[in-house]
Parts: sequence; C-alpha cells; structure tokens
Amino acid sequence: MVREISDRFKEKFPSIEPKEIPYEQRGYHLFIEAEKNNIVDIAGFFRNEGFYLADLCCVDYVDYLELVYFFNNHNKLCRIKVTVKTDPDKPSAPTISHIYNMAHWYEREIHEFFGVFFEGHPFMVYLFLHDGIDHYPLRKKNVPVPEWDRQILNSFRPEEQEDGFFLNLGPQHPSTHGVLRVVVKMNGEYMLSAEPVLGYLHRMHEKMAENRTYQQFLPNAARMDYLGALNFNLGYVATVEKLCGIEAPERAQYIRTITCELNRISSHLLWFGAFVADLGGLTPFLYTFDDRENILDILEATAGSRLTYSYFRFGGLYNDLDENFVDAVKQFITRLRSRFSMYENLVTGNVIFINRVKNIGVMDKGYPIRYGCSGPVIRSTGIPFDIRRHEPYAVYDRIDFRIPTGTTGDNMDRYLVRIQEMEISLDIIEKALKDLPAGPYKAEKIPKKLKPPKGDIYHTIESPRGELGVYIVSDESDVPYRMRWRVPSYSNLMTFPELARGSLIADAIATLGSYDLVIPEIDR
Amino acid sequence: MTFGLACCAIEMMAGAMARFDIARFGAEVFRPSPRQADLMIVNGTVTKKMAPTVVTLYEQMPSPKWVIAMGNCAISGGPFAFKGQYNIIEGIDKLIPVDVYVPGCPPRPEALLEGLMKLEEKITGTRRFPVPEQRW
Repeated sequence: MVREISDRFKEKFPSIEPKEIPYEQRGYHLFIEAEKNNIVDIAGFFRNEGFYLADLCCVDYVDYLELVYFFNNHNKLCRIKVTVKTDPDKPSAPTISHIYNMAHWYEREIHEFFGVFFEGHPFMVYLFLHDGIDHYPLRKKNVPVPEWDRQILNSFRPEEQEDGFFLNLGPQHPSTHGVLRVVVKMNGEYMLSAEPVLGYLHRMHEKMAENRTYQQFLPNAARMDYLGALNFNLGYVATVEKLCGIEAPERAQYIRTITCELNRISSHLLWFGAFVADLGGLTPFLYTFDDRENILDILEATAGSRLTYSYFRFGGLYNDLDENFVDAVKQFITRLRSRFSMYENLVTGNVIFINRVKNIGVMDKGYPIRYGCSGPVIRSTGIPFDIRRHEPYAVYDRIDFRIPTGTTGDNMDRYLVRIQEMEISLDIIEKALKDLPAGPYKAEKIPKKLKPPKGDIYHTIESPRGELGVYIVSDESDVPYRMRWRVPSYSNLMTFPELARGSLIADAIATLGSYDLVIPEIDR
Repeated sequence: MTFGLACCAIEMMAGAMARFDIARFGAEVFRPSPRQADLMIVNGTVTKKMAPTVVTLYEQMPSPKWVIAMGNCAISGGPFAFKGQYNIIEGIDKLIPVDVYVPGCPPRPEALLEGLMKLEEKITGTRRFPVPEQRW
C-alpha cells in the first residue's frame, strides 16, 4: 500500500521525492516536504486516493513555522506526513478547507494560536480564545496579535438585516453536556444554520506540555477526557514509550487492555444515560449510573481515583492489580449482561425513542473522509474503522473481536453501535482475563528523567469517542518541544453544522447527544 | 442549579444519583434556570471566555443566594494555574462571593454532600446531621 501510493505520487509530482520512514520509530510511513504552491494539489491527490486528513497542526521552530498534515486511509494503515514551511514574520499558507471540510476548523485553530493566515479561508474568526488575548499563545517567542488580525478574529457578529432570529444554545445549556455554545439561526422551529463556538473550557494543555517534563504532564491527560481518562492516559504513555523505546511487560499490557475497556464501558454507560435524558427520558440515567458505580469501585480499588485516573506509567503501571480485581470484574460482567435486556426493553424497543432517533442526522459514507470523524460515528456509517484493529496497540492484536457497524449512519445507528460496543468490550475483558499472565507489572530501570531522542512521533489509540492521536516533537530535553493532541470529539462535532441545517431544533439536540461530546477534550 | 462546567460536574451528577442520593438532604432539585435557584455550584475550571457568563448567571439568581466552589479549579485554578497561563480565572472567588469551598480534583460526591452541610451550618448556625466518626 505504501509503495503503491509512493509510486503514484511520484508519477503525479515528479519534482517531489516522498521519503520512506521507519514506521516503528516514527508512527508514519511516508514523509513529503511540500511547498506553499503545491500543497493544495497534494491534498487534492490524497482526497482522490480516498485518504482522510487525520490531523493538521503547526510547530514553531523559531526560524520557521512548519504546518504538519497527516493523511491516513480508513481501509489500510498508511499514514503520510506532509509539511509546509512558512515564514515566521508573516506566516501564511493556502487553505485546503475546500478539499477537506475538517481543515476548516483546524486552520482557524492554527490561525489563532500561531498567527498563520490561510489565504482563501471562508470564515477566519476566533474559535477558542477569548476577546482579550493579546499574543499568539503557542508561539515560542512572544508575538503580539496585530490590529488587523484582531479585527478579523473578533468579527463574528450576526448581521442585522438578516431574516430569522438567533438563538444561543449554551454555554450553560444542560443538554450540551458541558459548555458548548452553538449559535443557531432559526426560522420558526427549523434551523437555518448552526455555528458552534468553542473554547469555553480551553485549559491550555498543549501550552502546559511545553512547560512540564514528561512525567509532570501525566495527570493532564486524564483531565482532557474525564470519561475516558484511562484511554487518554494510555495514549500519552504509549506515545512516549514508543518515542523512548521503552517496552512495557506483558502483564502490564494485558492490564492496560482490561482497564481501558472497563473505562470504555463506563463512558458509554454515561453517554447512554445522558443521550436518553436529552430526549426526555430520565429513568435510564439513574440505572446507568448505578452500573457505572460498579466500574468506578473496581477501578478505584486498583487505580486509586474515581474519575481522573492516572494509572499508567512509562514502562508499566503505577501498581499491580488489587487482589479482588478479577473476581469483581467477573461479577460485574455477569451483572451488566443481565442488565442489557432491561435496557433493551426500556429504551431500544421503545416506540417513542425509535421515532425520535430513526432517520435523523443521517451521515453518508462521504462524511468520514471529508470530516475525519472516527469512533462510533464512523462505524455507524458502515465503515469498520477501529484503531484497535487498524493499528493495534496493547494486546488488541491478540484478542479477536467483532467491530459493530451501522448501515444508514443515523442517530439510531450510532446508538446501536455503542450498545453493541459495550457487549463486545465485555467479551474482550473476559478473553483478556483468561490469558492474563503473571509477571512484573512494570519495566526495570526506567530513568527518573526521560530524555527522548530528537525527532517526532505520531501515535493513535481508540478512545471511547474515536481516534485519539498524540504528536510529540522532542528536542532531546526532558520537556516536550511541542505536544499536539488530535482529539476525536473535535472532528466529530465538525459534522454538526451540516447535519443540523434544515432540521428541527429538537432533532438537532438528539444529533448533538448522539456524538457523545466531552467538551474539555474538544477545547483542550 | 444544573450547570456542568468540567470534570467535577460528573461527580456532581454521580452525587445526585441513587448511590449518594443528594435527595436525602433535600437538595436534589436542580434547576435549569438561575431565576429559580438559590445555590450555584461552580464545578470546574472557569475560563476567561466563560467568566462573564458565570457572573451573569450569578446576578440573575434571586437573593438570598449562595455559592459553592467545587474542585480545585474553581477554588484556585488548580492544576491549570501556571506561570504564563493566558486563559483561566485563578479562583472563582475573584469574581463572585463564595460561601463553601470543596477541595479535590475532582472531589468525591461525599465531599460535595459535606459541603452542602457546611453551607447549611453557615446559614442556620446549627448542624442537622452529625459528623461521622473517623474510622482511620
């Protein structure tokens, strides 16, 4: 696959030489150095080849700013890094948002954090930051925001002569699960347009990473996605391990798999309750929290906290399993299996529920490529894309599991995919428990101060919401030079404006609920 | 008032559910509107973008009104207060008066319940529920 793409690329662009990169060390296969004048054509080439844009970020090397594009394929792993260098004094680049819709938000993000101006971008206004910001936060030197930029950035105001009326969904609306704000233009009960405004919980994780050592950053990962804390924890730990060449022992890998799956179930249970509560049924919320408390108890005994676990360490775990762990998990598996039939009677077969979600918010197969959405959202459209299978980490390559998919990509499919995923997670846990080996739970001789070799790395895992990517640039010191988080909810939410256009406001709330958004993860 | 900011909101929700059951203390009526609320639980990081909204919500509440700052973020900025930070308010008490502080990252639901009791003690001057015996 890599060779084929490389050959076809050389045919199309004879002047550019794609470099093959050792995947085990860097996490990507090909590296292409593009220029400002051909990046649009290159993006077009990858779009035609069926690639999606996994991430778009920027790194400040003081002498120049580097835009990094990651392309990947849904069918077979083939990750390609494309870079474009730009001048730090007057940074600019052409937009690719007309090719990949997801670049729309990513470019806005880079603009406000680095000051890169994207030529031809249709809507370059603030997405995350507050009005009073006076410098570009992620630049290495203090670069003040120039006056002309400030005017563009803060220009999002409804125009007065427009028809229809504006409605603010949020930021303190209960059904947005946090502090998401959506500016909706309404015509009666119908939505003409919906424009999410983010950043109400922007907690500067990426900036903090540049101020802390690798160990000091550990608890931050859990606070990014508090529902799937262990998964984010693993994403970070696994990336750094790969970068430093540390190998965690077998037992640790199994325990990581088991605890991550438990965490996934607890996250899905909370979503399940909240989703149905959004549609007006409060009863399942009480039941799912009851089940969820069981998982929290099990994980608390082992990891030490109820919500924001920071259980994994570089080269292993914080401590070994609690002695009651295996029995408690087995008991929980039996309990939850018996509860599924109740949920089925209560919700899945409920006529009111079916009518509220069926054929609402339909996504076709083009959405994942244009928006890069992942997790249950992409699986509901019928594409069996799961990082656990696509790019196995921990011990997922040794465990056989089914990937549930939907057919139409509506809210009902997203609901069903998640429900099935919980059952499959239970199977995975059962299988992993059976094979759980004895042995050490952490690697020997991990240095207190990690100093990874120079270079960059991109690593992904499957969080409960989808593809989580961590991109770290190291400069041989004990502090990351740049750490970038590619978060799943962000690209999932990008599909919302398109899905909501023309729908009833009550249906749009159902669609919003079906994404399973976690706002701190989007805002980082 | 129903108002989830961040991680602590999940623990607040857990506190309202069957296991911890905030209703035992007559505090389960979460209102979506500030006009019907008399207690605001600020549960999470308050960013500079969010701060005007929080203050507006506080001002919309009818008097008498009280505030609980739940979690380290709402108390002092918590883990996100570092040199050179540009986006958070380091402590909600810089903007609105706070009656009870509940520390933790995030606090357990029991801690929130204890915070409610402390508030009751502050308002009435007496404590209705005894302090549980220390077991460790």
